Amino acid sequence: MAEVRYEAASRIYPGSEIPAVNKLDLDITDGELLVLVGPSGSGKSTALRMLAGLETVNEGSVWINDVDVTLKPPQDRDIAMVFQNYALYPSMTVAENMGFALKQAKVPKEERAVQVREAARILDLEPYLDRKPKNLSGGQRQRVAMGRAIVRSPQVFLMDEPLSNLDAKLRVQTRTELADLQARLGTTMVYVTHDQVEAMTMGHRVAVLKDGYLQQVASPRELYHRPKNRFVAGFIGSPAMNLLDVDRAEGEFRLAGEAIELSSEMGAAAKAVEGKKFGLGIRPEHLEFTSAGNGIAGEVVVVEALGSESFLHVKVEHQGEEELLVVHEEGDTQLERGDNVTITLDGPVHLFGPDGEAV
Amino acid sequence: MSTAVVDSEGSSVDSEKARAEQLKSLERREGWKRRLPMLPALIFTIVVTQIPFLFTLFYSLTDWRIDNTDPREFIGVDNYTSLTSESEKFFRDAAWISVQMTVMAVLFSLIVGTLLAILLDRKFFGQGFVRTLLITPFLVMPVVAGLMWKTQMFNFNFGIINWLLNLVGIESIEFASRYPLFSVVVVLVWQWSPFMMLIVLAGLQGQDPSTLEAARVDGATSFGIFRQITFPQLRPFLELGTLLGAIYLIQVYDHIEVIVGGQPGANNLPFYIAQRSIGGGNRFGLASSYSIIVVIASIIIANIGLRVLSNLLEDDS
Amino acid sequence: MAALFTRAPKAEPILGQNRIVAHLLAFLTWIVGLAFFFPLFWLTLNGFKEESVASADPVLFFDPTLDRFTEVTEATNLLSFGAAFANSFWVVLISTIIVMTLAVPAAYALAIRPMRMWRDVLFFFISTKFLPIVGIIMPIWVIARDLNLLGTRTVLVVLYSAMNLPLAVWMLRSFFAEVPKELIEASQIDGASLMGQIRQVILPIVAPGLAATALLCVIFAWNEFFFAVQLNPTGASTIPVWVNSQQKFQGQFIAQLSAASVLATFPVVIAGWVAQKRMIRGLAMGAIK
Repeated sequence: MAEVRYEAASRIYPGSEIPAVNKLDLDITDGELLVLVGPSGSGKSTALRMLAGLETVNEGSVWINDVDVTLKPPQDRDIAMVFQNYALYPSMTVAENMGFALKQAKVPKEERAVQVREAARILDLEPYLDRKPKNLSGGQRQRVAMGRAIVRSPQVFLMDEPLSNLDAKLRVQTRTELADLQARLGTTMVYVTHDQVEAMTMGHRVAVLKDGYLQQVASPRELYHRPKNRFVAGFIGSPAMNLLDVDRAEGEFRLAGEAIELSSEMGAAAKAVEGKKFGLGIRPEHLEFTSAGNGIAGEVVVVEALGSESFLHVKVEHQGEEELLVVHEEGDTQLERGDNVTITLDGPVHLFGPDGEAV
Repeated sequence: MSTAVVDSEGSSVDSEKARAEQLKSLERREGWKRRLPMLPALIFTIVVTQIPFLFTLFYSLTDWRIDNTDPREFIGVDNYTSLTSESEKFFRDAAWISVQMTVMAVLFSLIVGTLLAILLDRKFFGQGFVRTLLITPFLVMPVVAGLMWKTQMFNFNFGIINWLLNLVGIESIEFASRYPLFSVVVVLVWQWSPFMMLIVLAGLQGQDPSTLEAARVDGATSFGIFRQITFPQLRPFLELGTLLGAIYLIQVYDHIEVIVGGQPGANNLPFYIAQRSIGGGNRFGLASSYSIIVVIASIIIANIGLRVLSNLLEDDS
Repeated sequence: MAALFTRAPKAEPILGQNRIVAHLLAFLTWIVGLAFFFPLFWLTLNGFKEESVASADPVLFFDPTLDRFTEVTEATNLLSFGAAFANSFWVVLISTIIVMTLAVPAAYALAIRPMRMWRDVLFFFISTKFLPIVGIIMPIWVIARDLNLLGTRTVLVVLYSAMNLPLAVWMLRSFFAEVPKELIEASQIDGASLMGQIRQVILPIVAPGLAATALLCVIFAWNEFFFAVQLNPTGASTIPVWVNSQQKFQGQFIAQLSAASVLATFPVVIAGWVAQKRMIRGLAMGAIK
């Protein structure tokens, strides 16, 4: 149970000019499940490993529970980690794997067995205690990795894409179990994933990273509705937000010829921003089709019918180019490829200045 | 290990500098901790192999004869220049024998080894047993291999080969004395084909099954597949086998002594050098120059081959 | 990481997709295998024959006898079997221990916590193998003579250690490199000290590789002849020198020579058979990885 703090922490690999993690400032509260999410190379795993002590912190510092652990080896940090490939000790049984850390801490044999059995019970691993990793399925191995972490009652759990190697169905199932487990145990957890759906469903807060920089850290809802910049807007949400370049002409923004009405606040803020090239974002569920004549004209190109909802990709002409707008419909759709449609706005728009920041 | 910095505001330049200092000293210690474990092995190797080599180099620049009491005189490169003269004909003969022997042994053991690997690269009854049979020559003590072939296979009176030749009406041949080079090469190929076979086999078994299947689906014949897919993939392995084989086969000694024992027809450089120096020739200065020539040749071969090795190592970064 | 638990599928053979051809090829392979083994087989057979039988036309069936073996082990001319065996045994044992003691930490340093120039260091070790023995034999002989080490086991122990060390470092490094980095990191997070990591995590994984490497060193040291015969003319001669000395100048005592050869070479051949799979893996991995 602890708070975690990154203070201007950077990691620069020797021989490289560009930091993998660039002056990261991040406060994680006690008991929080914080997800680090971002594309490959964003630095999320590196940041996690800096917390673990597996990567040198070249600049800045890392704190666990108000203790500066920056120069401490992993052994001294009282953390537990689950690796993407589980890293189970092949020559040891499940019970020995789970009891390994306790053994290093010189916990007596009987007590070790008790704690191991308790963790095994929570994770449904009791029938497998005497097996070796090579005789386990992927899902079972994943749980052993989890068990190895829980047994220790550490200050912080570190998870490095623990579900990536599971098949899709198992992943969804395990995801909820994991979130539930964390809530029950109340231990601070830092969770790395590249899957933004995982991030959104599990995290109390989500930190989005790109190219070593922290883009935004907020609750999933906040990230979804109030993305701070273009990258976050396009990264969060599935399917992705419709993002188009718009030029400001005479103080106005037009999408495929139709003028966009901005709220008074946004309009005022937009006026304060210099420049001509802006970014416009609209979520698919904030667009709708209308039979009335007024709106954006387009032609349906792709229909994704999922049963519970449908997504239609519509070709429109915007600022002289062909663009695709994704529109969301509840349930089944009557539209087909080739249909001509009219689209109107049915929700908030997001405006991003020439620097990508939200207006 | 380190003390916790209590002041969590820690923004002053001093603590930043202190941390940088700590980090640097940590890195330096880490560097030594990493180097230390391999130092004993490194030092031992340098002392036992490199330092004597420097001595050899030094000897080669003198006229040292250890059998007389004349002081050893520094004569510069005279030993080397004399190598082209009439007096050093035996050296040149030995060098030429070395070249022939090495080339033939490497080439034929590579060919035989590759054929064996192709035959062995399949599942059949007793595959493990046959493989055991095939690697045995490599395990046999070279002295024994030499003796075995000389007295039991090549022997004029009782040798199996002559017995087989007689069966088909050919007269017995005195292999060791009439064809010494051939005899030695045969034994070398017998002993080294398994080594080449294992290397090529590793290459064959490392192939991606999907590529081969795709080729078959596309209608390629077995020969076509071998020529266009397998062989190019085997090249690094063949090169590795050639490199390692050459390095070892240049230094062959045991077989020479046992099978032909100093006959000029199969006297290679290592044997000749030993004869001329510690084997009674006592001409340490001159023989050292021979040695350096062999070393230079090995370095050239190794350099060509090290490029192959470095490519293989690159794959494991 | 998964490679520790599973096997890769094997590629289909190139030749012989057709069943008849496959059987023919299998038959051919058997013949070739037996032919390759034949010289050794014949040698062994001859060791059990009377001299008269061995010197006549080759026969496959005869009355076997152990007499040649007793003759050869009990002879006490210049060099006895017992003395040679003892010398070989000790020299091989000590040099292998020295090699492993030096090579294991070096391999650890080169594989698990590599220093910055590890490739150069590995190259250097390999390059010492490329140095022909004749390049150093004279100074070695002189030094051995001056230190009164000619004819002792010590000089052979030192030289065999130097001879096998590069090979051991080469092979062991590749075995150590197989240990997944994450496994070691996990053990660090679990609180294991350096010795703890080595003992509990790394060693169990590399143990087979250690055995294979040691065995290979034993084989090469046991079979070594050049140094043994040049530096130990009469003193601490080893088995290879002993077996060579069994050649008598007047005629060839084939059966006796065969018996001696069998005794000399079979320990190592059998050890090689037993450990072949792992040794092959170690050699191959060392070369290819």
